[in-house]
Amino acid sequence: MTKRHRIVLAKMGLDCHDTGIVIVAQLLRDHGFEVIYLGLHNSADAVVKAALQENADAIGISFLSGQHMTQVRLLIEAMARQRMQVPVFCGGVVPREDAAELQKMGVAEVFFPGTLGPEVVARVSGVLDRGRAA
Amino acid sequence: MSQKPPLSSAAGIAIKETYGPDDITGFDAGRDLGASAGEFPFTRGPYPGMYRERVWTRRFQVGFGSPGESNERIKYLVENGANGFVITIDLPTSYGFDSDDPIAQGEVGVTGVAISTLEDMETLYDGFSPDSVSYALSIRPPVSAVTLAMLASVAEKKGIALDKVIGTQQNDPFYQMSGGPLQTVTQFFPLDGTLRLCADNIEFISTRMPRLNWMVTNGYNLRETGVNAIQDGAFTLGHAFNVFKMAKDRGLDVNVFARRASFFLSCSIDFFEEIAKFRAMRRIYAHTMREVFGATNPECWRMRFSVQSAGNTLTTQQPEVNVVRAGVEALAAALGGAQSIHLCSYDEGHGLPTEASSRMALRTQQVIAYETGITRTVDPLGGSYFVENLTNQMEQAIRAKLAEIDGLGGMFEAIRHGWLENQINQARYQYQADVDSGRRPLVGVNVFQIPQSEELPIEIHKIKADEWGTKRSEYLKQWRQRRDAVKWAEAMAHIETAWREGTNMVPALMNAVQNGVTMGECNEAMRQAQKWSFR
Repeated sequence: MTKRHRIVLAKMGLDCHDTGIVIVAQLLRDHGFEVIYLGLHNSADAVVKAALQENADAIGISFLSGQHMTQVRLLIEAMARQRMQVPVFCGGVVPREDAAELQKMGVAEVFFPGTLGPEVVARVSGVLDRGRAA
Repeated sequence: MSQKPPLSSAAGIAIKETYGPDDITGFDAGRDLGASAGEFPFTRGPYPGMYRERVWTRRFQVGFGSPGESNERIKYLVENGANGFVITIDLPTSYGFDSDDPIAQGEVGVTGVAISTLEDMETLYDGFSPDSVSYALSIRPPVSAVTLAMLASVAEKKGIALDKVIGTQQNDPFYQMSGGPLQTVTQFFPLDGTLRLCADNIEFISTRMPRLNWMVTNGYNLRETGVNAIQDGAFTLGHAFNVFKMAKDRGLDVNVFARRASFFLSCSIDFFEEIAKFRAMRRIYAHTMREVFGATNPECWRMRFSVQSAGNTLTTQQPEVNVVRAGVEALAAALGGAQSIHLCSYDEGHGLPTEASSRMALRTQQVIAYETGITRTVDPLGGSYFVENLTNQMEQAIRAKLAEIDGLGGMFEAIRHGWLENQINQARYQYQADVDSGRRPLVGVNVFQIPQSEELPIEIHKIKADEWGTKRSEYLKQWRQRRDAVKWAEAMAHIETAWREGTNMVPALMNAVQNGVTMGECNEAMRQAQKWSFR
């Protein structure tokens, strides 16, 4: 039996729309993930610190109020400072042209609103399983 | 392709094939609906004549970037005939932070306007007088106590008597609950302090600024978390009743303060259920205000509400279809007797609304208001076997849920102990499971999808967060250099003293903002007075 995937989920900045991420947390738990959800208003350093402490395989964040570009940049910078290399997943109200830029910055997958549960699980698992095989 | 519709409503009420006289046995129009609109228990509407007299208000939502930019936009809209505005505030201001606080990085001016100084509020009112143009500030305590102090100070500086000032300070202590209920309220300020400022505001407004709306219970954000129409009705009313009880416990007169209370509600997509919800809520409110709170002034029995269409029913896929969803929701809100309606823009699944998409949302309402003819008679669905039966069922279900909340010691306790959060989380997860399984059809998402290549291109509202943040930081730096340091220090000290002495905070905050104290500093001083810190 393989080890379960561990993922740290968090809301960053002042945005408090957490419906999506709370649903994803439960969804991933139901599919065998170990989920550590940090709640709202986390700084980039707090997310990276928690991910290191938890020995997480991935980080998942979500945005609804237009702060995704700034906060993702801060997160990627904080990860680089700590030499942390795990896939970052980002979901929420993100314009498609921004999504392409987020992926250039290093985000593994961007999930738009309306993505159904099974697809979220499949894409997250896909990235993590590929990482494990490599 | 055929898709059988579910035979129970979104909130789980079973819907029969047909309805007839047996479904409303004992129905007494005078008792259950009121002789007409504007009569107890107001099921048909809060005012006589309703839209025959005055079509619902089509409010404009304004607020982005700096106060100057927002003021220019308001001037443009006033020239085009608007006179009522919902001013949305950016997230740093909503949480009581100045634009130059490090926590505000990337958020300044994005979701609304930034207000850090008295001068910012004066700029917002440039060219307008607070006794003639109505601004509704979407704001809650502790911040609403500071914005109230700013508004009162603007009026004083313009030589306008406080009792002439119009507008709204939303002042709902649990307003930011569009998610993680308790943490959004408790992260940056102690809950007891928030409740005290809510009561301070009610006291100050009801005694000194009687034309100002002091409390808009925000059921909208709560509904947006994914709870159903029954929970929506019960949580929203339970919440308002708890605030009223707090005001009454402070010795305020229910016949005075309740006159200026109103509601901000969501209208979702389950058409008849939403109409029944609005009608049932008005009836419960009227009975509760008269029989439980003992209000004798008929104005205090009347439940008035503004509606925004449900953002959480919009889809990112085939976004133009959202115009239809919002249109259906606006129709339900009008048939449900709303006083003011704001429609979500069709592009909200992609980003913040553009001017073009906002205009489409307004035009949708105008078609309903001026072309369909539904405004010609009051409560056109009243007396329908189905609608009256559903209204009765909604009332019973909401009352049962209210009794459950009472059993927990009221809504504040239910929130404090995580009960509400639990209800929300269950509802959210169930909703997604229903969409995933197809039990809940969602056009373009789990039925009638098209490939991404066929999606229409969509224009995106450009966010200039970094530019706004930099400009605001420079402004605040100069502001802090310009002000009188001695007077500033005295005003800061006075906030702490007033807090500890338990006096009404609004006058102390007025003194503070007039002496250069910023929004962030007011909040910091009040945190320090409570010996509380989050940093």
